[in-house]
Amino acid sequence: MANAADVDALDFEPDDDDLMDEDAAVDVDASSPSAAATIPKLKSAITGGSVASSAPKKTKGRGFREETDAGRTNRMSGRFDSLDSDGGPGPERSIEGWIILVTGVHEEAQEDDLQNAFGEFGEIKNLHLNLDRRTGFVKGYALIEYESYEEAEKAIASMDGGELLTQTVNVDWAFSRGPSRRKNNRRRSPHGHRSRSPRRRF
Amino acid sequence: MAEEENGATAGGEFYLRYYVGHKGKFGHEFLEFEFRPDGKLRYANNSNYKNDTMIRKEVFLTPSVLKECRRIVSDSDIMKEDDNNWPEPDRVGRQELEIVMGNEHISFTTSKIGSLMDVQTSKDPEGLRIFYYLVQDLKCFVFSLISLHFKIKPI
Repeated sequence: MANAADVDALDFEPDDDDLMDEDAAVDVDASSPSAAATIPKLKSAITGGSVASSAPKKTKGRGFREETDAGRTNRMSGRFDSLDSDGGPGPERSIEGWIILVTGVHEEAQEDDLQNAFGEFGEIKNLHLNLDRRTGFVKGYALIEYESYEEAEKAIASMDGGELLTQTVNVDWAFSRGPSRRKNNRRRSPHGHRSRSPRRRF
Repeated sequence: MAEEENGATAGGEFYLRYYVGHKGKFGHEFLEFEFRPDGKLRYANNSNYKNDTMIRKEVFLTPSVLKECRRIVSDSDIMKEDDNNWPEPDRVGRQELEIVMGNEHISFTTSKIGSLMDVQTSKDPEGLRIFYYLVQDLKCFVFSLISLHFKIKPI
């Protein structure tokens, strides 16, 4: 249940949000004069959700019955480190290479199976084949690191939609240089549509 | 329109936040991460034990990664559970799991869970077990993403 203050905060928020998108595109956080605007932003993502959305959400849990947690706002609103990125579309390089995500991985797959399938595009610098903590079988995804963009790109192009141990796998970049929605779409959105902005967050 | 063009929001909104922490001898020690609808993954880990380090990292994920996160949540059936009969947060610690998926919004809180024994002896072992394993699977996913991207040991 959001209280009245949350509702008020939400009314102002879309403007801040749109302004930030037009000005900078990348998240500006504490380094920017509009830093104050980012604080209610996260908060509303939590408490304001059911209010702002067009269709009321079904809410459940003790978390809704507690006082607004000021500590939480502090915890998640300050400066977060990220690798230097100029924003914009496209995959982002990780600190030592390029990471791809493989999904639809067979639950009985072994690291060797992935090595064999993905090793042909370049040396695999790192492979995470995580297990389901309850069953002990493969959870269904793998993260693979290549040193070069070209190797990773080739792996994606060759293996996405392909078959691995009788299952269709999807392969894509793991990290991106900017928000997943396309910026020019947002920039084009006229001010008259601002009232709809809260639907995009919650 | 933009929403339909990327897989991240396919099937409606998605937001996830997990927090575990306690306040004690070494101050407020916690781990928290969130997947935001625009694809941003935020990770914060504050431990004051021995060296006081606050790790705060953020990175944008592709819609494919968000989709996989969503699948893990969806397969767990956590949205059908309720925290009514779970142990309340206490001095030992607190966990919070907040998820918005489609038309549902959950915000669960409970104490720290030391082992499966705590789960079995609780008033809602079935529900708490789902929470217990989901949290581990999510942490595992996030730790892999963060450690591969930044080359740090998340914990």
